[in-house]
Amino acid sequence: MQNHPKKFFIFGIIALLALAGCAAEKPQETATAVKPAVEQAENVLKGKIAGKSNKAKSISIVVGKGDKAKTVMLKFDDNTKGIEFAKKGSAAIIKYDVKDGEKFATIIKPKLAKLPAGVTEIKTEELRGLYENHADMTVIDARPASRYAQARLPGAISIPVPEMKMGKETVLPANKEQLLVFYCGGPT
Amino acid sequence: MSTTNAGLAKKLGYKNVRVYLEGEPAWSKAGYPTYTSKGYIDTGNIVLIDIRASHKAVEGRIKRAVSIPYDDLEDRIDDIPRNAPVILYSDDQEEATDAVDDLRSDGFKHVALVPGNYAGWVSAGGAIEIGPIASTEIRWQRILGKGEVSVADFKKATDGGDPNVFVIDSRTKEEVAELGIFKNTTNIPLDEITSRMNELPKDKKIYVHCSTGARADMAYQELKKNGFDVKFLLLNIEEAECDCEILRP
Repeated sequence: MQNHPKKFFIFGIIALLALAGCAAEKPQETATAVKPAVEQAENVLKGKIAGKSNKAKSISIVVGKGDKAKTVMLKFDDNTKGIEFAKKGSAAIIKYDVKDGEKFATIIKPKLAKLPAGVTEIKTEELRGLYENHADMTVIDARPASRYAQARLPGAISIPVPEMKMGKETVLPANKEQLLVFYCGGPT
Repeated sequence: MSTTNAGLAKKLGYKNVRVYLEGEPAWSKAGYPTYTSKGYIDTGNIVLIDIRASHKAVEGRIKRAVSIPYDDLEDRIDDIPRNAPVILYSDDQEEATDAVDDLRSDGFKHVALVPGNYAGWVSAGGAIEIGPIASTEIRWQRILGKGEVSVADFKKATDGGDPNVFVIDSRTKEEVAELGIFKNTTNIPLDEITSRMNELPKDKKIYVHCSTGARADMAYQELKKNGFDVKFLLLNIEEAECDCEILRP
């Protein structure tokens, strides 16, 4: 019986980690990272920073996905660690204490994206170099089609995540040796 | 999201898969051009600018483009709404990317190019206009986002013309003491909003403002969660657009 609540917590955390965004992670890859957080599950928030006000010393963070998404407001002060990671739009993990019914952020950490096995990161300048050298590559925009329509990288094609899951990969090159570069809206 | 797709591609057997985690925002920030789609140019709520010389625009331009030759762009930069998505085209790629860089350096956040410039548009079968240019005035209206109140509705409420609205100023007491407060407005600093909800009428609409909209947005989220009929003003209240009357201290 002892096991049940714990399992439930792990499930909850996995659900939180599955949040949309560049930082989206796959459950099996995060299983190891989940453990330390489990003990303090009720005092940790993971999600996207919706706003920060230095004047009001408040941060708001959106946790949960889709219809279950909700915004949580926390206070911070000079003792809050990692306040620089509370940037609007970035994914963050916030540990907090509850004082007088209000949440006080104690530690803020950036939520880093995990790369699937065998996949490596590419940085701006290297990518720019590949463009300059007309490298044989396909650049794929994983954001929703509307965002792709507004502003995309040169020559990028659009495959939003849901479409990739449904098999739109048919638009990918037949040559499986060719370099594929996926991008989205970044961590910020 | 990009990592999810990369994982799926890997499973499909692609051997050489990489992820540009920093994504489109970093690409733009580094000064490199981004491109837009035909449908967005046709129907998006954008400012489309033809930066070629005027006579070329007269000979043929993308439908609904405003002609601002690159040489005049600097002089006209303040006519372009800062929060509008701006799409540019030229017949010279270098000039086009220079213009993107100029606008971004000036603080424009959403600037992109027409793929292939004017020639690319024509060869893609895009709609064009030919003939004299009647006006180079830029008309663009921001579409209100979720939870936003229009400046007109907000002004009506602070003017006292809408008794069904309760207006909250979510700035700090110090800011209000120094700068004054709008008429018909109650100061509840953002950090007090949770503890002072009992002061708010449940049967009225609530509008929240601050100095730029950031705190108002947070207060909006908090009040909405607690069942209030609330909207917020996303505007720097120092802008001329909001000429609501202020009670000076």
